[in-house]
Amino acid sequence: MSTALQSPAPPMSAALRSFAAQWQTRSADSLSPVRGQAMKRFLELGLPSSRDETWRYTNLRSLAAQSFVDAPRRLAGEIAPNAALSLLGEADRAASLIVVNGYPIMPPSGVEGIEIHGLRELAHSDPDAVKRFLEPLSDADQQRWALLNTALFVDGLYLKITGRVAAPLVVLHVASGEGADNIAYPRIIIEAAAGSSATIVEQYVAQGEHTPLSNSNTHIALRRGARLEHYRVYATDAGATHIDSLNIRQEQDSSCKQFTIVLGGGLVRSTLEAELGQRGASLDSYSLLVGHEARHVDCVNIVTHGAPDTHSNQTARAIAGDMSRVIFNSKVIVNAGAVHAHSQQSCRGLLLSKTAEIDTRPQLEIHADEVKCSHGATTGRLDPDMLFYMLSRGLDRDTAQSLLVYAFLADVLTGMSVPSARAAIENSLIAQLPDSQTLRKFR
Amino acid sequence: MLQITNLSARVAGKDILKGVNLEVRAGEVHAIMGPNGSGKSTLAQVLAGREDYEVTGGSVTFDGRDLLALPPEQRARAGLFLGFQYPVEIPGVNNVYLLKAALNAKRKAAGEPEVDAYEFLALIRQKMKLMQMSDSFLTRGVNEGFSGGEKKRNEVLQMLVLEPKLAILDETDSGLDIDALKVVSAGVNTLRDPKRAVVLVTHYQRLLDYIVPDQVHVLSGGRILKSGDRSLALELERRGYDWVAESQVA
Repeated sequence: MSTALQSPAPPMSAALRSFAAQWQTRSADSLSPVRGQAMKRFLELGLPSSRDETWRYTNLRSLAAQSFVDAPRRLAGEIAPNAALSLLGEADRAASLIVVNGYPIMPPSGVEGIEIHGLRELAHSDPDAVKRFLEPLSDADQQRWALLNTALFVDGLYLKITGRVAAPLVVLHVASGEGADNIAYPRIIIEAAAGSSATIVEQYVAQGEHTPLSNSNTHIALRRGARLEHYRVYATDAGATHIDSLNIRQEQDSSCKQFTIVLGGGLVRSTLEAELGQRGASLDSYSLLVGHEARHVDCVNIVTHGAPDTHSNQTARAIAGDMSRVIFNSKVIVNAGAVHAHSQQSCRGLLLSKTAEIDTRPQLEIHADEVKCSHGATTGRLDPDMLFYMLSRGLDRDTAQSLLVYAFLADVLTGMSVPSARAAIENSLIAQLPDSQTLRKFR
Repeated sequence: MLQITNLSARVAGKDILKGVNLEVRAGEVHAIMGPNGSGKSTLAQVLAGREDYEVTGGSVTFDGRDLLALPPEQRARAGLFLGFQYPVEIPGVNNVYLLKAALNAKRKAAGEPEVDAYEFLALIRQKMKLMQMSDSFLTRGVNEGFSGGEKKRNEVLQMLVLEPKLAILDETDSGLDIDALKVVSAGVNTLRDPKRAVVLVTHYQRLLDYIVPDQVHVLSGGRILKSGDRSLALELERRGYDWVAESQVA
């Protein structure tokens, strides 16, 4: 790689040294200048630590002590059908795209209303088409891993929605490593042209003995009047670490419904950063965060209202059982001039065990007049009156608890417009609740 | 069927029941009346197994079993039913699902197979007709957005589906207009048979015009001060509760 790097301030962690070594192995491409800038900045800033505002609750020290190498570009064998939690039936989707460790297995050229490009190919044929989604680079601590992704991703997908597509497009991310020290950099760019509409489901699953550390990034750009329903569903194994960044840029009168669903993984950090940059843009964000066994879930949402008459709604439901920990931090920023901005944040946490922990922190930063912003956060245990009522009708304690948990999550589940996606997510969710067998009968 | 002996209970550190004695035999309907704060609802909740109500003394047997040793769900499966004074709303949990789960839990405990979906729907429609409830109840969350009267009808509907041996109805009549009271009473009366018993907790004599009790008890200050037949309820209506307390002192 031709871009020279200044040596960063010592000491450099093992992880940082290994990322720098990966950088050395990358061949030059049309994106090299912007990648080099990202790498340089990342090495200067280092891995985020608990001193960084959005990383207070997630300790990466053990990760920093490891060295990483690139995960393989292909799977050793076939994709096992059971690896995918098969979110959607064959008949219900426009197409399924499979991405292995960030490398797309290219499908037919596209579907009606959606152009599908490989990022590597596109960077070669039309560098500017890709570059405009990589810049500007941010120093913000929630964007630290996105910088690294920009520097090191090799391939990915660019999905351009041009029409009105009713059936959901599924992107199945399969993580599968050759050793315990693998890392993958999945990168997806979704651009919805003016007036277009679509549903895109990104689902992360793992296959095989070793699940690579996943540092994924999705960038969504919605042009005027575009509508998108986007899902990111984490369903990897208990040993997996997943750091995911989602950036959403919305133009005039565009609307986005976004679902972040954590159903798997050992350590899951998901960031959503949205900019409602033009008048009338609106975002509905739903987070369903399930803490199970020793899982650690850290979800950060930062929504900026940058123009008048913009709307954002955030609904987060966190449940934590066993020894798990769930963190939900959301921040709404209303820039000067964004008059008549309307924002609402509702986060509710439900603790299912004495050893579990939930931290929620809704924040508001308002620099404009005539705005309407509200936020609320509550965390508690199951309502004893509701529980007693159900027990007094003869239900098992486990069944009663599960039904109440399920009901608690209903606000997010009922927001989903794709019935098959909802059904699959519910199925997977129920499997992680006590007395799942009985619960299945209720559906 | 139900034998309560010298039962005492405490709620939030306060002694509420102070030695209740009561025997209910199969086939009987008992009415427990008394002023506000006398312990009527506490008695009902203690019998159903509310865990934050502390039993401090006495015993309760139900069909010869030590009722107080059973957790609430096992009491229900053994055939005890509590109709709540304030039925809780459980948004997101479907009314019919809850009822089906309750019926199946009871059948399972009795070694019977689970109810078939069609069979269940037929059963519930029949009972809903009796309670004059609209089909919208089938799709709503448990008591979600129900009016006071609808909640009480729903309690009786649940009772009719579960067919308990002993039903304790805690102020099921309160907040009902006269038409609803007739419907609810008719529902309760269908359950009267020689093998079952009903305990009505109520403030008002008027319920007893529709569900005629075999015995009436006055609970006051955590104890049953007086028992009698239906005429006692009429006398209470005329003379108030103070008369009972005064006659005890005298």
